[in-house]
Amino acid sequence: MSLPKFSYLAPDTLEEACRLLAAHQGKIKIKAGGTDLLVRMSARAFKPDYVLALGKVAGLDHITFDPRTGLRLGAMAKLADVVDHPAVREHYPMLARAAKATATVQIRNMGTVMGNICNASPSADNIPTLMVREASVIALAATGEREIPLAEFFLGPGKTALQPTEIATEIRVPVPEAGSGVSYQKISPRSKVDIAAVNVAAFLLLDGERRCRQARLCLGAVGPTPLRAPRTEDFLVGKELRPEVLEEAGELAAGEATPISDVRASKEYRRLMVAILTKRALVEAHNQALHH
Amino acid sequence: MSKNFSVVGQSLPRADARIKAVGAAQYADDIILPGMLYGKLLRSPVAHARILNIDVSQAKKLPGVKCVITGDDTLKIKFGNWRLVPESQDEYPLAVDKVRFIGDEVAAVAAIDKDIAEEALSLIKVEYEELPGVFSVEEAMAEGAPVIHELNPNNISLQRKIDYGDLDKAFAECDLILDNEFKVHAVSHAYMEPCACVAEYDHNGRLTVWTSTQTPYFVQCLLAKTLGMRENDIRVIKPFVGGGFGGKMELRKWEFCAAFMARQTGRPVKFTLTRAEELATGRRRHPMSIRSKVGFKKDGTLVAKEFTAYLDGGAYNSMGPTAAFLCGNFGGMLYRYPNYRYNGYHVYTNKPPAGAMRGFGAPQALFVAETQMNMAAEQLGIDPLDIRLKNAMETGDEIPGVATISSCGFKESLLKVAEMTNWREKRRQLGKGKGIGIGCYSFISGGVFNWFNTQYNFTRAEVRAFDDGTVHLLTMASDIGQGCDTVLRQILAEELGLKMEDIRLTAADTAVTPQADLGTWGSRVTLMAGNAVRKAAQEIKDQLYKVVSLKFDLNVIHDLDCRDGMVFAKNRPDRGIPFGEAVRLAQRANRGEPIIGYGSYTPRGKGLVTPAFSFGAQVAEVTVDMETGAITVDEMNTAHDCGTPINPMSVEGQLEGSVHMGLGYALCEQFIMKGGKTLTATFLDYKIPCAEDMPPGKSVHVETYEPDGPFGAKEAGEGLVSPTAPAIADAVYHATGYRCTELPITPEKILRGLGKL
Repeated sequence: MSLPKFSYLAPDTLEEACRLLAAHQGKIKIKAGGTDLLVRMSARAFKPDYVLALGKVAGLDHITFDPRTGLRLGAMAKLADVVDHPAVREHYPMLARAAKATATVQIRNMGTVMGNICNASPSADNIPTLMVREASVIALAATGEREIPLAEFFLGPGKTALQPTEIATEIRVPVPEAGSGVSYQKISPRSKVDIAAVNVAAFLLLDGERRCRQARLCLGAVGPTPLRAPRTEDFLVGKELRPEVLEEAGELAAGEATPISDVRASKEYRRLMVAILTKRALVEAHNQALHH
Repeated sequence: MSKNFSVVGQSLPRADARIKAVGAAQYADDIILPGMLYGKLLRSPVAHARILNIDVSQAKKLPGVKCVITGDDTLKIKFGNWRLVPESQDEYPLAVDKVRFIGDEVAAVAAIDKDIAEEALSLIKVEYEELPGVFSVEEAMAEGAPVIHELNPNNISLQRKIDYGDLDKAFAECDLILDNEFKVHAVSHAYMEPCACVAEYDHNGRLTVWTSTQTPYFVQCLLAKTLGMRENDIRVIKPFVGGGFGGKMELRKWEFCAAFMARQTGRPVKFTLTRAEELATGRRRHPMSIRSKVGFKKDGTLVAKEFTAYLDGGAYNSMGPTAAFLCGNFGGMLYRYPNYRYNGYHVYTNKPPAGAMRGFGAPQALFVAETQMNMAAEQLGIDPLDIRLKNAMETGDEIPGVATISSCGFKESLLKVAEMTNWREKRRQLGKGKGIGIGCYSFISGGVFNWFNTQYNFTRAEVRAFDDGTVHLLTMASDIGQGCDTVLRQILAEELGLKMEDIRLTAADTAVTPQADLGTWGSRVTLMAGNAVRKAAQEIKDQLYKVVSLKFDLNVIHDLDCRDGMVFAKNRPDRGIPFGEAVRLAQRANRGEPIIGYGSYTPRGKGLVTPAFSFGAQVAEVTVDMETGAITVDEMNTAHDCGTPINPMSVEGQLEGSVHMGLGYALCEQFIMKGGKTLTATFLDYKIPCAEDMPPGKSVHVETYEPDGPFGAKEAGEGLVSPTAPAIADAVYHATGYRCTELPITPEKILRGLGKL
């Protein structure tokens, strides 16, 4: 199907972008890479009168790392650039893995990490790793900007905490603590190039005795939004990652998931995969932490 | 048999490689004509209903709308490819009285642009009286089930039977009898080019239709019938076509509507389907419920088989009658079944119709047959390779009342693939998540059957020779991406001793190319059109040999030949002249008459199925993640017998495509439906394997020489879609202990099968 008719707005500055957004509230959609938006518009899932393209705004595609403040990804930073960025690969290898697990080469060359986040799909590849790294999103409006922790960002499928007048301009990821590690695990029916049926990210911060000082988990595609697993996380704190601890963590996480059955998997399979992927993610995060 | 070929057997690049690579090839959707309108179809949103009323008045009033039609505007003539059995023709160009699946075509609109056409569809008001629907063969055949077509109160539209030997006696003598039920699912052709067509009606009352089709001749004939026109007033042209796989071999509703509305409006009309329409409503491979009982002696000798298939045909017959027959045919192929009985039932359901698709009944039959061979091998304690070698068909074997196998490299293929994969050792050693499995196939090289009931030969070629040393080949054979434009040129170049670039080709235009050709399906083109081209070339040669004999005053015992651009006496090559010179002399000798050769081919004396069968064996190696059930196909190796490969590179391409399609069938492609509604109507959820999922693997041609094929050639590539699923299923069993009897093999099914879920 062809795209419905709309006006294409391509401002040069964020100020102008915020102004246009405010002026056309409710009738406008923001476009970064467009790989989700345009497909949905073609399918008539969205029928905006205006599309606000951020491509012409200078300095929105930055990927910068500062050892004191951490990683910053601009709204227009493309998935492919995140995959290949040396600082991302060095300090946040699982962000690179998640970006690379997103869709196909063609989509990664167009699509952005921010777009993947703002699309707010429960199965999004880039959310879980950012979530367990306690990343946040900078939201800019004509009236000022605010920082929204990712943990508070997702309200439901396709729904975010962004106000209709706000543009998400930047993702901020804290500096990785020494002794911490992350893992991203994903399973999908077609294997290599596919949307996740279930994905899991784990973060572990170990103490000197190799016990979990902090643990964070994010479970994707098993609830209306990517889910944290607080009971499992609490359970892990203070424990060594022995086989029986892993087993129980997997089962606890599976219990915290709220999957449904759909064309991609049954809820029983999803729940079992949460357990399996959680265990795998914890083991890998543990290994990462030991080497960090 | 002479193997001293110069062009045949060469891996020459495709004739269309350059034009496609630079993006200059014109497909039907690329055609834009002055004043052209854009058509859209209104499809039924309900699976089964009576149409009470259709109100198109609002749609007609929308500015930019030039034509709106419903079934009432048409002649209400039913059509179908099975002209031989008129009562099997069960489709109207647009729905009359009833709709039978979600997507059934109800009305059509032509407007000055697509958006207006789309909007007009939303203004058509249809009142439906919904009827209960049936969505599986079991539901359709149940007592008191809703009737889909009045003609078939039990929803069984036809039954096909094959029966030979004495089954009851044979089963009584068996040491092992397996009696299993299987289910196989529907998959999409998913050709790269969604269907499109453009129709133009001229001031002389004649129609030209450019359409993405495998069968221009069928479209011409069935358009004539449904439009009430004369066949010769309709010209169907096949532009470049982006794949068909059996999905483009009938008259389609949009072709009718484009033609009808072009005639109505006097303006060209184009239809282009969306991928969503293709996936949700398009033709597909038949899902089947199958019961197969097969008996063996202790030593693995096959004794008897009783095979029963219920084909879920969807709402209309389409090519179901042929699939129902071929399924039974392939159920009895590959091995010597001395006693065999097949019953195939084509059952209507309220789902999109299934039709012809690569393999045409074989993938279903062979998934079952090959899986049972592997089960039997295990139960009898015989290597799956040996049980096959013991029962394999050989050259000269007869299928009672059906055909004689005129060439067969099956055993050689089995031995070759075993050697390539180190089969025996791996079969003994692997396990615990790693497995190796085997599947085999046989396929036809075109059908002998004439269900279209054509009065023409099955295919015909015309060759015109010129004094500049070039020729012009005219054929209705349709290159839809499989490469026959290249292969037919190779055959002609070989025959006339010319180079590929010396051959101009005009193909698949019903007003220009010779009547007729039944089209591209059933792997018929290389053998049938190839033979016609050879015969046409022979007529050219006969004319040229006369003048060369005369010029050199050759003794009548001399044989002549065409090679390297020369026509000459075989044993005295100095006595020869260039091809073009020979043409000039032949024309002069015949007072200016052009040098033209004609050739036709219709299989004769070849039994009931096909002139030639191909064979092959495939071995899959897989790794299964025992916790998640995720399957990785590590390697896929093939040895096959396609006779003489005319163009080995093209054959390679076919094989890789087959593995890709077989992989999707085995593992991930499926239409998940609910109450007749397709839930997987995008490529996001209708999961085709991607390039990264393709396993590495080698293929080896086991060369035989098919006496009925051009230069010994027969089918290549279509049959190979069959062994992949049983080979992978067997490898998964070897790896995990889970035996799949219901495709596709998914991670969930494996875990459930192993009791882990």
